[in-house]
Amino acid sequence: MATQAHSLSYAGCNFLRQRLVLSTLSGRPVKIRRIRARDDNPGLRDFEASFIRLLDKVTNGSRIEINQTGTTLYYQPGLLYGGSVEHDCNVLRSIGYYLESLLCLAPFMKHPLRIVLRGVTNDQVDPSVDVLKATALPLLKQFGIDGESFELKVVRRGMPPGGGGEVFFSCPVRKVLKPIQLTDPGKIKRIRGTAYSVRVSPQMANRIVDSARSILNKFIPDIYIYTDHMKGINSGKSPGFGLSLVAETTNGTFLSAELASNPQGQGAAVLPEDLGRNCAKLLLEEIYRGGCVDSTNQSLALLLMTLGQQDVSKVLLGPLSPYTIEFLRHLKSFFQIMFKIETKPCGEELKGGDKVLMTCVGVGFSNLSKTLK
Amino acid sequence: METKDQKKHRKKHSGPKAEKKKKRHLQDLQLGDEEDARKRNPKAFAVQSAVRMARSFHRTQDLKTKKHHIPVVDRTPLEPPPIVVVVMGPPKVGKSTLIQCLIRNFTRQKLTEIRGPVTIVSGKKRRLTIIECGCDINMMIDLAKVADLVLMLIDASFGFEMETFEFLNICQVHGFPKIMGILTHLDSFKYNKQLKKTKKRLKHRFWTEVYPGAKLFYLSGMVHGEYQNQEIHNLGRFITVMKFRPLTWQTSHPYILADRMEDLTNPEDIRTNIKCDRKVSLYGYLRGAHLKNKSQIHMPGVGDFAVSDVSFLPDPCALPEQQKKRCLNEKEKLVYAPLSGVGGVLYDKDAVYVDLGGSHGFQELDEVRPTHELVQSLISTHSTIDAKMASSRVTLFSDSKPLGSEDIDNQGQWMPKEEKQVDLKTGRVRRKAIFGDEEDESGDSNDEDDEEMSEGDKLVDSCSDDETEDEADTEMMDMMYAREKGVKRQRLQEMEEDLEADLPAFADSDDDLERSSEDEGEAEEADESSEEEDSPAEERDISESKVVGDYSKAGLLQTNGLSKSLNLESSLTVNKATLTISDSGHCTAEEAFASEDETEESSSLNTEEEDSENEEVIRKKFPKSSQVADDQRLGSENLIGETSDVEDLLKEEEDYKEENDYSTETSGALKWKEDLSRKAAEAFLRQQQATPNLRKLIYGTVTEDNEEADGDTREELGGLFRVSQPSRECKHKLDSLDCSRFHVEAPHDWDLEEVMNSIRDCFVTGKWEEDKDAAKILAEDEELYGDFEDLETGDVHKGKSDPDTQIEDVEEVNKEEIDPSTEESARKKHLDKKRKLKEMFDAEYDEGESTYFDDLKGEMHKQAQLNRAEFEDQDDEARVQYEGFRPGMYVRIEIENVPCEFVLNFDPHYPIILGGLGNSEGNVGYVQMRLKKHRWYKKILKSRDPIIFSVGWRRFQTIPLYYIEDHNGRQRLLKYTPQHMHCGATFWGPITPQGTGFLAVQSVSDIMPDFRIAATGVILDLDKSIKIVKKLKLTGFPYKIFKNTSFIKGMFNSALEVAKFEGAVIRTVSGIRGQIKKALRAPEGAFRASFEDKLLMSDIVFMRTWYPVSIPAFYNPVTSLLKPVGEKDTWSGMRTTGQLRLAHGVKLKPNKDSLYKPIVRQKKHFNSLHIPKALQKALPFKNKPKTQAKAGKIPKDRRRPAVIREPHERKILALLDALSTVHSQKMKKAKEQRHLHNKEHYKVKQKEEEEKLKRQKDLRKKLFRIQGQKERKNQKSSLKGSEELSK
Repeated sequence: MATQAHSLSYAGCNFLRQRLVLSTLSGRPVKIRRIRARDDNPGLRDFEASFIRLLDKVTNGSRIEINQTGTTLYYQPGLLYGGSVEHDCNVLRSIGYYLESLLCLAPFMKHPLRIVLRGVTNDQVDPSVDVLKATALPLLKQFGIDGESFELKVVRRGMPPGGGGEVFFSCPVRKVLKPIQLTDPGKIKRIRGTAYSVRVSPQMANRIVDSARSILNKFIPDIYIYTDHMKGINSGKSPGFGLSLVAETTNGTFLSAELASNPQGQGAAVLPEDLGRNCAKLLLEEIYRGGCVDSTNQSLALLLMTLGQQDVSKVLLGPLSPYTIEFLRHLKSFFQIMFKIETKPCGEELKGGDKVLMTCVGVGFSNLSKTLK
Repeated sequence: METKDQKKHRKKHSGPKAEKKKKRHLQDLQLGDEEDARKRNPKAFAVQSAVRMARSFHRTQDLKTKKHHIPVVDRTPLEPPPIVVVVMGPPKVGKSTLIQCLIRNFTRQKLTEIRGPVTIVSGKKRRLTIIECGCDINMMIDLAKVADLVLMLIDASFGFEMETFEFLNICQVHGFPKIMGILTHLDSFKYNKQLKKTKKRLKHRFWTEVYPGAKLFYLSGMVHGEYQNQEIHNLGRFITVMKFRPLTWQTSHPYILADRMEDLTNPEDIRTNIKCDRKVSLYGYLRGAHLKNKSQIHMPGVGDFAVSDVSFLPDPCALPEQQKKRCLNEKEKLVYAPLSGVGGVLYDKDAVYVDLGGSHGFQELDEVRPTHELVQSLISTHSTIDAKMASSRVTLFSDSKPLGSEDIDNQGQWMPKEEKQVDLKTGRVRRKAIFGDEEDESGDSNDEDDEEMSEGDKLVDSCSDDETEDEADTEMMDMMYAREKGVKRQRLQEMEEDLEADLPAFADSDDDLERSSEDEGEAEEADESSEEEDSPAEERDISESKVVGDYSKAGLLQTNGLSKSLNLESSLTVNKATLTISDSGHCTAEEAFASEDETEESSSLNTEEEDSENEEVIRKKFPKSSQVADDQRLGSENLIGETSDVEDLLKEEEDYKEENDYSTETSGALKWKEDLSRKAAEAFLRQQQATPNLRKLIYGTVTEDNEEADGDTREELGGLFRVSQPSRECKHKLDSLDCSRFHVEAPHDWDLEEVMNSIRDCFVTGKWEEDKDAAKILAEDEELYGDFEDLETGDVHKGKSDPDTQIEDVEEVNKEEIDPSTEESARKKHLDKKRKLKEMFDAEYDEGESTYFDDLKGEMHKQAQLNRAEFEDQDDEARVQYEGFRPGMYVRIEIENVPCEFVLNFDPHYPIILGGLGNSEGNVGYVQMRLKKHRWYKKILKSRDPIIFSVGWRRFQTIPLYYIEDHNGRQRLLKYTPQHMHCGATFWGPITPQGTGFLAVQSVSDIMPDFRIAATGVILDLDKSIKIVKKLKLTGFPYKIFKNTSFIKGMFNSALEVAKFEGAVIRTVSGIRGQIKKALRAPEGAFRASFEDKLLMSDIVFMRTWYPVSIPAFYNPVTSLLKPVGEKDTWSGMRTTGQLRLAHGVKLKPNKDSLYKPIVRQKKHFNSLHIPKALQKALPFKNKPKTQAKAGKIPKDRRRPAVIREPHERKILALLDALSTVHSQKMKKAKEQRHLHNKEHYKVKQKEEEEKLKRQKDLRKKLFRIQGQKERKNQKSSLKGSEELSK
């Protein structure tokens, strides 16, 4: 009998997304126990439940079992289906939380994914939609996922705690991915950014831009930060403002940083000038870390390298984030893929911190969902 | 024998040869045209028609493009696995004989009985695995999936048999490997002509099946029960030089054709329960793609399993080491067939490998005996297998002392690597034993010394292995040298340790695995650099001074990684310098070595200068070291453009390199154990640092338990608290926030100038690298293209000569005093220049030709090169972790929970294939495919009849549903497959990638007389749900009819059902269309419907609906390998209902209505024609019906009243009646008389008439006679007159 592949077992709710996404892609069932078992409020949270629901929407034939208290989750993946989907994301986490996983899954659907996500577009925890649009999409293009229908659009902006934002994401389907060799990040040629403000004075955005420029101008003159002030229905339910910055290099690497104001009624009010300056400094930190892939997208790049053909892929990264490290472990358990990790010391050149060169041979993944005509 | 009736030679009159001869002949006669006709007569070849030209161009381009295949990345490994040659044919066609002959041809060895695959070395770069395929369809299917080449034997005296065609079809479906036909039994033909005809006929049939021009071999006859040597030799040559195109399925999946199987189950378990699941290990060459440990595999005929362990073993049938010679010598002609009992006997991955002295020691039974002892000791004792292994001893050679497992075990898990040293051909294992002893003697404390020693030993090993023909004294020299080397190493290792003491993270900062592989090289490099330091007087080059500088810098900075890299770089440059010298000439090399060795012990100096062979060894060593270094710092900038000249030198020392690798491996293992605690202590420090030991952090022990993640807390706490602390930490981590953002822990102060400067070069405004700086590139170009001569004016422009070129000039003038550094730089410069020119030429040359296809091909080629190069420098142990076990390796796979029948009923004749499965290919779901019934299959296939599919690696029985897709994309169920058309099929079964071919057979047991392949096709889609529907007609009857509205009943059962179908289209049988409107209250299920016309009560209303069908989730793998020996071709799964009925004699109860009855025809009765009165009236008289209708009853008013007469009246009437009767009688008589009279009169009159006529006739006769006589008289007289005249 072709039995179902033996399932993997984990404990704790951390890295839930990784586990479910990898389970879906590898076809191996996963069982997660002790989800907040010792917590006062045990079990899955609403945003996680929403994520699981989203996963159910884009797949066909997946089986999800959650026990009474919500502390144990069994997920047997189906095949990725795609198509036109709408999903109301929980406002506890921003759309970025959901979008990150969708970016991993979208190229391997049966039908091209066209999804409308509603909820919080920018918050302080997750990578915002703007950042993902500016960094993750070019990264996917490197793997050969490209086309007219490949877009991520912020229709409405929504800030926590109210939300009310809307994002449209569509992605074409690929059968196989191209291997990548990103070993030279190149030099930063321009910095772009978006300073957004909703339900506050439009002047806020301009104040942010000025302060951010004051820092970045010392490095490069080619800076342009768009101000995006949304009004009316497009401005969501809560006030807020923020800034996301993207540095583009000559070789097509995008490094990003972002900062958002505190949600209404939480924490002290933030001065837009401080926010701009801090965000600019965060960008400099990101540049210091360097690499060919933004620190938030490290795991995405590594995943797509793994899912490539049986060819060698290489990517130069900055220091690995804890999330990426855990992701690498998961990749090993789900796909038996181990990366060759070489540290590249910075030397005496003035190019920031030490880098890590990640090399792997793809598993020879092919999109099993796509229909052959 | 056929010499007497040989034909005379006929000259060729056409073809290239004839043309050539003709030309030569003409030239001899001085008539030949020297120049081309095209040149001689250009007008004749001028463009006549632009359209035709365009067309012909178009056509040639089309043909050219047609030849292109989609380029694929070439993933064949450097040392490919043996080619699988499947010898196939019907029984008694000569398969075994052919295999025997082939083996004898390649190995000069005769195998009597062949069971299972036989691997032989057929050439310098090629090995073959030959396997026989009978006509069991299970075997045919399995072998077609793994075959690279099929030798298809055909009995020419009989012709093609069904099996041949079946196998061809199977091959076609599963990727079409190369197929070569071989005709046998050609000696049974008595007449040459018949033979020729048969050959031609078979050839053409074969071509239509395979491809036109497919190779068909003829084996003309047998000599002493074997085929003719020359023919077999030719066939062998064909096989050895054959090229193969990669097949999609095979290249994307790892697979093994197992040539050996061992049962590893605990004997105790078997004793207690003979039917217990077994644990087996299977051996074979890995083919196809990379195999990962713990992955899913499928064994056709057995089932799905998860690999519990994989390990690679030394190649039992290795390719020859050096390939300088043209052909193989006898010792290299290996054969390996463990199932047939040929080749070395290997026991377990960490146990004993016994070699029987290669193929030549096979006959000597004495050497086999110890093996049996070992086996006996293993079997007879009643302890665990480990204990048995420990206690069992084996004598490798009759004169050596027995070898126990402890001798081997103490070498740790690296043992199999070591075992590779055992030369399979020569069986030289002597040095191995020495190694074990030394290992024992040296304690664990000084591991590194130990390694060095072992390394030295192996060095000797390798040397001797390489030069099997060398004399013993050479070996001795080698050994001496190696010893010294070892001592030297030891010393240097100490030095290195000193270095490490200075720089604590030197060794630590790098990851362990790499470290282990680097160890060796580093040691050497450290050695060399230190040497240089010791003797500054010897070599005064720039790099040397750089070394010093670096060291000082290292001391200052204390950034360990940095200093290390610099260190390496410097040593590398030195290496390169010496290398170039050694390369440039023999004497200089000697010089260099001599000078270097002065710093070393004098003994080594002596040996070198005395013995030229030794020198060679040293020379080997140097490129080696540079190579190691090279490999380590693949990305380091200083190494760009490393030496194409060196490469050929390096190639020779590959084996040498291998040795080094193994040694480094062992050292790595030990080192890892050694400073584990120290590493743990520094874990935290490392994390803080920018270059953490990432590999260990991610994949190492740290992964399993998070304790080591924060080493310092652990360090501080110690004792009891150690456990609780990490667990709390761990729990915290388990449920912490799931976020991908990487927060900055300790932000830099970006206001500070130096912090800002640290990323200055990340921007385009910063400083660029040497090779990318615009100014620099410009300068280079200037240098390259600076010199040119203006042809028009004759001016010579001279580029600025930079110092380097000057040096070059100087060097040319004064060759005696070569400064190594300048020479090197000059050389580099020269190489650069050459490279640049070549690039330019390439670019220019390719510019016109470059197409999309070429670009794609180039891209693929580049990727292939990268794939090869990436892990080339790493030892196998590390490599398999990164890329999995690569094809070409001889691997051992352990599988658990194998059904006991597999072991009990093991038959070596049947191939055991382990097919790797991709991700989620082990899952099941609905598989949709495009299917076509095979045109040679006699029946059509029925939906829901179980059928056996062969898809991917698997053979399984399942229940498919056939469907056809309508124009609107609806998938409509079919009861049967169409006769000659494709249709869709869906079944529930294993998920297999789209585009995979499949075939279907009704049964795999040999009861079918006809062509067995029922259908073929391709997989289109995989899903977890299906959308096949079948037609369902709901009927109802009107019970009330209004104008266009009717009430219909009988279609539904409830108002709810009606509600579901509101608005649906309905129709009557007579074709009136309508629509369901709304449910009625009563009767239940009735509804109101509107139609386009008024209905009749007799109309039947129906609605067409589509009902989804479900597919039975039936998936039953064909477990043919589990059947007892001899019955493996009798597997039968679920039977069709038809077969079941036949078996049980159950007659189908037919529907009475569908039975045929005798036809009873009723007499046809036609009604009379009735013409309406109005029409009758309108008709013209002649067309009016003439026959009057029978008079009907006369109406009363027209009826006359009855007349009742008086008696006398009655008398009168009677009298009158009588009178009238009399009268009428009278009249009747008179009439008769008159009639008679008339008759007579008529007769008389006729007579008279006749006479009259007669008389007239006579008269006329008389008259005509007289007239005639008169005329005659006249004529006579006139004739007379004329006669007289003429007289």
